[in-house]
Amino acid sequence: MQMPEPSQAIISQRDALAQGLRQIVGKDWVISDDAQRRPYQCDGITAYMAMPLLVVLPGSAAEVQAVLRFCNDRGVKIVPRGSGTSLSGGALPLEDGVLLVTSRLCNVLAVDERNRVARVQPGVPNIKISEAVSHLGLCYMPDPSSQLISTIGGNVAENAGGVHCLKYGVTANHILGMQAVLMTGEMLELGGAYLGAAEGELDLMGVLTGSEGLLAVVTEIAVRLEPVPEVARVISMSFASVEEACACVGAIIGVGVIPAGLEFMDRKVLDAVSVLIKEKFDDRTAALLLCELDGTAVEVDALVGVVSDVARGQGAIELKVSTTEEERQRIWSSRKLAFSAIGKLCPDYYCTDGTIPRNKLPEVLNKMADMSKKYGLDYANCFHAGDGNLHPIIMYDASKPGDLEKAEEFGADVLIACVDAGGVLSGEHGIGVEKRDLMTHQFTEIDLQQQQMVKCAFDPKDLLNPGKMFPTLCRCAEFGRMHVHNGNLRFADIPRF
Amino acid sequence: MTDIQTTASMRPATTQDVADILMDAASKGEPLVVRGNGTRAGLGNPVAALRVLELGGLDQIDFYDPDDLVIRAGVGATLDNIEQVLAQKGQYLPFEPPRYAGLYGTDGARCTLGGAVSTALSGPRRILTGAVRDFVLGVEGVNGQGDVFKAGGRTMKNVTGYDISKLVTGANGTLAALTTLTIKVLPAPRAEVTLVLPAATLEEDVALFARIRALPLGVGGLARRVSPTGACEVLVRVEGTVPGVAGNQQVLGGLLATRGSMEVLEQQASQALWAGVRELDCLNARPDDLVWRVNLPATTMPAFVAQARKAGCINRFFVDWAGGVVFSTMRGVQPEVDTLRYRKMAEQAGARATLLRAPDAVRAQFGAFPPVSAGVAALAARTRTAFDPAGILNPGRMTVQA
Repeated sequence: MQMPEPSQAIISQRDALAQGLRQIVGKDWVISDDAQRRPYQCDGITAYMAMPLLVVLPGSAAEVQAVLRFCNDRGVKIVPRGSGTSLSGGALPLEDGVLLVTSRLCNVLAVDERNRVARVQPGVPNIKISEAVSHLGLCYMPDPSSQLISTIGGNVAENAGGVHCLKYGVTANHILGMQAVLMTGEMLELGGAYLGAAEGELDLMGVLTGSEGLLAVVTEIAVRLEPVPEVARVISMSFASVEEACACVGAIIGVGVIPAGLEFMDRKVLDAVSVLIKEKFDDRTAALLLCELDGTAVEVDALVGVVSDVARGQGAIELKVSTTEEERQRIWSSRKLAFSAIGKLCPDYYCTDGTIPRNKLPEVLNKMADMSKKYGLDYANCFHAGDGNLHPIIMYDASKPGDLEKAEEFGADVLIACVDAGGVLSGEHGIGVEKRDLMTHQFTEIDLQQQQMVKCAFDPKDLLNPGKMFPTLCRCAEFGRMHVHNGNLRFADIPRF
Repeated sequence: MTDIQTTASMRPATTQDVADILMDAASKGEPLVVRGNGTRAGLGNPVAALRVLELGGLDQIDFYDPDDLVIRAGVGATLDNIEQVLAQKGQYLPFEPPRYAGLYGTDGARCTLGGAVSTALSGPRRILTGAVRDFVLGVEGVNGQGDVFKAGGRTMKNVTGYDISKLVTGANGTLAALTTLTIKVLPAPRAEVTLVLPAATLEEDVALFARIRALPLGVGGLARRVSPTGACEVLVRVEGTVPGVAGNQQVLGGLLATRGSMEVLEQQASQALWAGVRELDCLNARPDDLVWRVNLPATTMPAFVAQARKAGCINRFFVDWAGGVVFSTMRGVQPEVDTLRYRKMAEQAGARATLLRAPDAVRAQFGAFPPVSAGVAALAARTRTAFDPAGILNPGRMTVQA
């Protein structure tokens, strides 16, 4: 993975920079020694590593402002980071950049029960929001699998999804307002703590959400709270073929049911899981769907009936419906354990997250089987079928020379197949560094240029998380001066990294 | 109530034509009014431009995939057409887009999808299903330099690149002339009923709304209005499966029993009622009334309304979004003075006051949209420049020059 060439001039100022930053956040909150910086070398993708120049942990929004201003004045890059669970290398440090960690900004500031809004700091782990309001019968809906650890700030940066986003939407649909600091240190209040608070001006909050830390650092977030559904039940549906399981996904939605979650697991995943949960799956099962339905008891009972009928009509060979909360948890445990179960089958695995129209599932899954043969690497499938969000798990052995590269190429081929099927490179993990160089497959030069122009409006010096998301660095000065019309690439010859 | 005297309008039928027109306008630095069919030209500030770029001719439906809950259409496709196509498969636009044809004296049948997205007007169901911005999956458009760009995609989940789709939603045509939109749709609820009960005080009604919303009952409409017969009433819309709605209606019946007599409107009657709420019919706005929308936290609404009525800034009003939005008419003899007072009052209450309808001169002077902080305004201006460096797309539609 090629990153922008680190500036030796900045690296040589490390001690002076550390001293300046200590004056802002206090001496304990700037980490400069090797041993303590090492845990920050990577995020959720351990294949990509870099030692950050310095790690800074501000304790307030004002300190974030001061840190950004300090770095902006000196031309020092910033990489924002929450808990570092990114699966795309979004929080991969830069050797000449300060890693700004939000862990100390971890308070739920206010809960407004009657208007159903909570104001939180960016370092609050996702699950803590729901925990803080559970006594009111409320929750924060988006639930990425990493929710025990991943922070709301990181969720905003990545526009995180989760199992339940099929019905309830992703992070962007649950944010009402935010306080954000630009690289210059300027603080902005966007939206507010009620619906419609952002109307009448450009949806800057909308574009900040999912901007992977390239536009601003978010220091406070107002999130919507929802009532916890009264009942949730899950149906486990076995199919003798992958095609039938895929067809059932479309059929459920086609009949007018939006499940709270709709997950797919193939036979390889089931075999791996059955070892852990000590439960056998029917031998005929090639693929399993888990369909969760929630709402009031009456509503859910009706929906369970509808979905069961659809599944039988689509050739399901076995249906199991949870009748108690304990059963629901047990049925879900197979999905929750899937990734760790696969982890026991192989030394390493690589997971990516292209997203496709639901009716293209069989086509893309078939292509994956061909790719597996081509690269000689085994794979398994366990993904969010309801929203077409694939998570192919490619198994490899990092100790074998060339295996990682093969896995990466396999993953890239899957993503290209997703785009070719009308889908996108990433459903929820983000582009980061991992998928950066594939952006030109989904977007034209003009599409990307338009996006980078937005970056210039927020961060004209390109100091916030550079080297992520786009295959070329921003050239804000040139964008302002030059213009070449349709078809003629503006920077056809500039170096890519 | 249209844009400042325009002399010529262009009605392209393809994206390439739009690009050619904009490239030409950009080279001359010629500002353009950008609109669909112009049915809501009265929303936003008047634009000073001699020519109109009308996108209503881009009215094709590119594809509709009901199993994938997605439709792609030209910006000029009418909302009526889209909704009819979706209804054939039992689906709908969840953001319940208002037409405001009555408000602007235009033909609602000509309201376009592009207009709905560009104005980001969301209907009563927003409290349950979300706003326009939550359903725009992808866009194609032409920026102020004549470049055709696309962003987003057609899948429900997509974090590939910046969410330009959200940025252009509600941008009132100031960033790009949109050409194609990809919209997430949902199955329409199989059943709906509306419970109509006598209103109490605003405070009590807002408290009731909060109690109802705290329960997961699929309530997709909570409003308070004056009925055609002059009664002040609270409206509660329940949606879902047939047995689900019946069950939830029972639960709500218990909760609302203390309110006295309750009327129940089923299906079509309920739909007709909410179409009226969506279109602000119950305001009975006179042609020369100013019409306002104020967004605010529901809990601060009663005090705000009381203050504004006392000050003569609210004539008729009704409340939607469980108390989070107040629509009102203003009948002042000095609209300039009242506009400033009302907006000031809203600002002090932490609310956002939008002038939905007013004479051109009033909107031109005070701005249809409430002011934002200097920092946000500057960032928005830089963002507009990133799309439209020459400032030719609906200049001044959203902002008033100081």
